[in-house]
Amino acid sequence: MKPVLRLDGISKRFGGVVAAKDITFAVLPGEVHGLIGPNGAGKSTLMNIISGIYTPDKGTVYLRERDITKVPSFERARIGIGRTFQTPRFMQRSNIRDNLLMGTDLANQMGYLSSFIGKKGNPFEEELAELMEVAKFTFRWEDNISSLPFGKRKLLEIVRSMLGHPKVMLVDEPAAGLNNKEIEYAMDLLNLAARKRGIGVLLIEHSMDMIMDICDDIVVINFGEVIASGGPEQIASNPLVIEAYLGGDDDAEN
Amino acid sequence: MKYKIWIGIVALGVFIFAIPQVLEGYSMNVMNVALLFSIVAYGISIMMGMGGQLSFASVSFMGGGAYFIANVCTNRFGINMPTLPALLLTPVVFAVIAFVIGLFLFKLKGTYFTFSTIALVQVAYTFFNNYKPIFGGADGISGIPTLNLFGYKFTSYNKWFYVIVACVIIVAVLVERIRRTQLGRSLASIRDNETAALTLGVNVYMTKVIAFSIAGALAAFAGALWCMHGKFVGADMFNYANAAQFIIMAMLGGVNNTIGIVVGAILVKVLPELLRSLQAYMQLIWGIAIIVLMVFMPSGRAGLYERVREKVGSFIDKNKPGTGKEQPHETSSKA
Repeated sequence: MKPVLRLDGISKRFGGVVAAKDITFAVLPGEVHGLIGPNGAGKSTLMNIISGIYTPDKGTVYLRERDITKVPSFERARIGIGRTFQTPRFMQRSNIRDNLLMGTDLANQMGYLSSFIGKKGNPFEEELAELMEVAKFTFRWEDNISSLPFGKRKLLEIVRSMLGHPKVMLVDEPAAGLNNKEIEYAMDLLNLAARKRGIGVLLIEHSMDMIMDICDDIVVINFGEVIASGGPEQIASNPLVIEAYLGGDDDAEN
Repeated sequence: MKYKIWIGIVALGVFIFAIPQVLEGYSMNVMNVALLFSIVAYGISIMMGMGGQLSFASVSFMGGGAYFIANVCTNRFGINMPTLPALLLTPVVFAVIAFVIGLFLFKLKGTYFTFSTIALVQVAYTFFNNYKPIFGGADGISGIPTLNLFGYKFTSYNKWFYVIVACVIIVAVLVERIRRTQLGRSLASIRDNETAALTLGVNVYMTKVIAFSIAGALAAFAGALWCMHGKFVGADMFNYANAAQFIIMAMLGGVNNTIGIVVGAILVKVLPELLRSLQAYMQLIWGIAIIVLMVFMPSGRAGLYERVREKVGSFIDKNKPGTGKEQPHETSSKA
C-alpha cells in the first residue's frame, strides 16, 4: 500500500537546538501511526513541519507521493492534512455551529463569494450524528463553544477535523486532560477515522496504554532523532526506548 | 425570536417616519452624518470585530471616496460624471485600491499592522491637506453636486435622510450576511487563533486583505455620500482624531453587533452636539470614555446588556431550587 504521508530526511534546527535530525517515516492510509518520545523530543516540531507552520531546513514532506514541502499550510489543510492541538483551538467567542462549520467549510471549499450569495455546502448532519454517536455526547448548536467542558471540546476538535475530510490527521495528545471514559471515546473516534474512513492518523500521545492499544506502527524519537520504529510489541521491548523514557544513564547525557 | 424581528421592524419604521418630522436643518445634518459614519464603522466592525485587526485606515479611504467624487463630478479635470454612476463606482474603485494597499500592509502583523495604518492616515492626510491640484489643499473643494437619482435631486437634508437610511440598511444586511457565511467564520478563526485558522484551510493573509478591501470600499462609499450630502470636502475630516472617532463608534455599539454600530455612531456624533458647552473638554471626555469602556464593557454596549442579563439571570437561578448549572445538552437538527 502506498503511504499517504511520508517524511524523508527531515531536519530542523532552532539556533543551536536540533529539533529534528534526518527523520524518515511513512504513514499508511487506514493506520494509526504513533509518534512518541519524551518531552522536548521534537514531536510537536514535527507536527508543525508536516502541517506547514515551520519549514524544514532539509528534507521533504510527501502527501500521497506529492512533494508538499513548499506548499503553504492553509493549502496543505485543503489538500488533506487535518490537525488537532494539545489544547483545543476553537473560535472561543463563537457558538458550536460556527466552529463545526469551519470543518465543513474546509470540506466544501467553495470560496467566500459562493458562500455569501447563498450556495449550500454538502449536507453534513448525518455524518456529524454518526461522529457524535461515537463521541457519546450531545450539544446545542447555539451554545458558546467555551460552555463545553475541556474533555468534550477536545473530542469535538477531532470531530471538526474529521468533518474536513482529511487524508491524514495529525492528532496531538488527545488523551491529555481527559477522563478514562473520554479517552475511550477519543480512541473510538480515531479508530473510526482510520479503519472506516481510511484516514492515516499520526498520533502523538504520552499515555502508553492508548498508544499500545490503538497503534499499528510506532516511531519513537528522542533529541530530534528516530531511535526506534516498529509494532507495539517491538517498541515495548526495545531497550533504547526504555532508556529514553526511564532516563537511563543520566550522568552520561548531562 | 420572531417577535424580536417584528419589534425591530416597527422600531425602524417609527425611526424613519419620526426623525424627519422632528429634526430639520442643522440637527438633521448631524443625524445624517451620524448615519453616514455608521457605514464607515461597519467596515471597522468587519476588520476589528470579526477579524480582530485594528485598522485606522478607514478614514483615509473615506477621504479617497470623497475626493474621488469631488474630482469626477465637478468638471475639475474635464470629467463630469453623473452623480449616481459615480457614487456606485466609488466603492468598486476603492475596493481595488484598498486591496492593493492591504497586500502590502498585511505583510505586518498585529500591532505593527495597526501602526502602519496610522502612518497611512498621516500620509493621506498630508496629501489631502497640501496637494492643491487634486485635493484642493487646505481650502478643500466646494460646489460638489448633490445626488441626482433619475432626475430627482436631493436638495435638503430631510430628503437625504431616506437615501442614507436605505444605504445603511443595505450595508447592515451585507455585513450581517458576511458574519453568517464563510468569510465571517474565517475572520473569526483568524481573530481567535491564526495558527488554528491556517490548519483549517483559511488563507489568513488573503482573508485579511479581503476584509481590508471591503472595509475600504464601505468607507469610500460613505465618503462619497458624505461629500455629496455636504457639497464640500475638506482635509480636516480625514485626520487621525477622526480615525479614532470611528473606532470609538464601532466599540461603543458593540463591535460585533450589527444594530449596535448605528447606535454607537449616533451616540458619538450626537452627544457632542448636546454637550456643546463642554466642547473644550471633548477630547478629555472621549479619552476617559474609552478607558471606562475598555474596563467595564469590553464588547461594547451590547456586551453590557449581556453581562447585566447574565448577572440577573444567575441571581434568579440561584434563588430557584432545582436548576443548577448542569443543563441538558441536546442536538437539534437545524443547522
